[in-house]
Amino acid sequence: MNSIDPVGLANTVLGGALLGGLIALSAVGLSLVLGVMKLVNLMHGQIVVLGAYAAFYLAAFWGISPLLALPIVFVLGFAFTAPVEKFILAPVAKHGEEAGLLTTFALAIILENLFIRFFSGDSRSLDTAFSRETIAIGPINLPTIYLIGFAISLTVCLAVWMLVTRTSFGRSLRASSEDPISAAIVGIHVSRVRWGTFALNGGLASMGGVLIALCFSFTPSSGSEYLLTAFAIIVLGGLGNIMGTFVGGIALGVIQSLGAYFFGDGYRTFVGLVMLIILLAIAPNGILKRRRSL
Amino acid sequence: MHLSTRRRRLAGGLAFITATALALTGCSPIGADGETSDSSEPIRIGATIPLSGTLAGFGSFLQWGYQHAVDEVNAAGGIMIDGTAREVELTLVDDKSDPNEVTSSIKTLISSTNVDALLGSCTPDLVNPGAVVADAQGVPFVAECTPIEVFKSVKEWTYAWDIFFSVADQAVAPFEALEANGIETNKQVFILHDNGPDGQAIGNEIWPVVAEEQGYTVAGNIEFPADNTDFSAAIQKAKESGADIVLISSITPAAISIRKQMAAIGWTPKVIVAEKGAEPVQFAEALGDLADGIIVGAYWDPSFGYPGAEELKDAFESETGLTSSQHIADSYTAAMVLMDAIAAAGSLDKDEINDAIGETDGIYAVGPVKFDDEHAAKIPVVSSQWQDGVPIIVWPTDQATGDFLFPVP
Repeated sequence: MNSIDPVGLANTVLGGALLGGLIALSAVGLSLVLGVMKLVNLMHGQIVVLGAYAAFYLAAFWGISPLLALPIVFVLGFAFTAPVEKFILAPVAKHGEEAGLLTTFALAIILENLFIRFFSGDSRSLDTAFSRETIAIGPINLPTIYLIGFAISLTVCLAVWMLVTRTSFGRSLRASSEDPISAAIVGIHVSRVRWGTFALNGGLASMGGVLIALCFSFTPSSGSEYLLTAFAIIVLGGLGNIMGTFVGGIALGVIQSLGAYFFGDGYRTFVGLVMLIILLAIAPNGILKRRRSL
Repeated sequence: MHLSTRRRRLAGGLAFITATALALTGCSPIGADGETSDSSEPIRIGATIPLSGTLAGFGSFLQWGYQHAVDEVNAAGGIMIDGTAREVELTLVDDKSDPNEVTSSIKTLISSTNVDALLGSCTPDLVNPGAVVADAQGVPFVAECTPIEVFKSVKEWTYAWDIFFSVADQAVAPFEALEANGIETNKQVFILHDNGPDGQAIGNEIWPVVAEEQGYTVAGNIEFPADNTDFSAAIQKAKESGADIVLISSITPAAISIRKQMAAIGWTPKVIVAEKGAEPVQFAEALGDLADGIIVGAYWDPSFGYPGAEELKDAFESETGLTSSQHIADSYTAAMVLMDAIAAAGSLDKDEINDAIGETDGIYAVGPVKFDDEHAAKIPVVSSQWQDGVPIIVWPTDQATGDFLFPVP
């Protein structure tokens, strides 16, 4: 184990928390889809990457800053995934949950190969002036982009939480999640709710991809890694629990950063997954201990 | 039968047209002593290359280098085999930067495509699995893009060959570059390296020893998984160490993320050396001016004056509109070495081709190529530094194409 420098440790923990919160945005949609549609969406990572590519080309061709491009990327992600649900996933849904899972697996492979075909296999990265700046809080220096990304992620998660808990769409969504048959009997258009949820997931995941690409690099093959991270976050936060997902992101970020700080980066994922297993044994419904917020 | 007869007639017709075209254009097949004859049966060469995945930054250059060499040979009339001019047919398969994909694709190239010889992919992770399969099945395999010590350490090779630099030379180069350019630092280095075969070799074994020999102190050494994305804890440790120099060995996505995260936490070491990952031009494209000042081991620049080097660069840049990479030189050279050996053998007998590869002794676009007893041909290392999106040679000083940029801006 390495020697401990309190300032360095504080930098690492706070940076990890901010980064985890930032990454949580990419997982919120997956949590919704799991909660409402009972669908394990294996193309989720590719939608995250799609968002990163959308922002990359918006910046390259039209000079639009990645942060300003977030609403456009949300619309693009929504518009791309809406027909996928309506014309591909909805028809196979009647064949059981496995059919949807396998279909999204196939779509993930197709999307990854389309990215390679159209965007090349090169590593890409998004850049803004904020990506190179730090904010000093006493002796602690925090990356500005982490703070901005954290704030955006928190704002969007709160907005989604409001949508789910305070609107008629949210009531329909929660009803469809709990008991789709009863929801349909009382007049809720369940298939439309499923469509809306999947498209909302598309928009949110795409925005999450932009934030991730501002901090790291990405390639057409990055999707599987983002999918794994998103799964870990929503399991930590509790399936279908929106603010739990946000907190789960922070928790995973802190746990992994501590693991990397004390044991080296080779143990970042290992420590994260071990802690995930321990936490699940203690709190199987997630760290906020609520079964579901939907 | 009817179809077969038609095919034979078609083949005969094509052979006649090819022979006439060759005679009219004055092209001469490799290995031709004068009279030529034709056959529709091509010489089959195969390779897997990383066109997608984490090593895709190398794949497009290998693809171009291999294809350009084959196109040149075919334009010259192909290769004489048993008195017959044969065209070369190149089959390239995307290995997705996955060693398992390399193994299965090489097996398929041997068993289904019936290749006569193979070329390599890029980095030890992808070259070595393919070389092992080719060696076991007795198919000549010429690779580049994998440091020779790592290649030699796998096994005693019979059919596999490697043309590349020595990782020991690569490790020394940045220290020599600092010394030769009179760069003053606190002589402390921090090592960040991945857990791939070459990352472990240079990060765990070679850099620490070389640094000490050169009078530097290793302030820290962190190993990380090759596909790691978040390096903030490692960078924080490096920053805390107070080292002026950071030595990095990683794949390209990781190298990009490390530099971005250094900037994000507001830390710029005076010297950054980033081996392997900082080589492809996509590294500089992704980072923009953040790439400026980063040193990376190199082995080729058109200014070195090897035969065909300038033409190779010009051909690449005019055909693709992209900035050239040194990987066009080693991939082109590997393909030419293999095809020269096939021509020298004058046969598609794999043992004869293999013997001819071992006899190679010539100067190619990448430099002199002569294999040692362990099937490796070493090419000299230089140090380059990214400046305004262009790799500038900064050591040896007599080969320098620009001034050393210090400290990293």
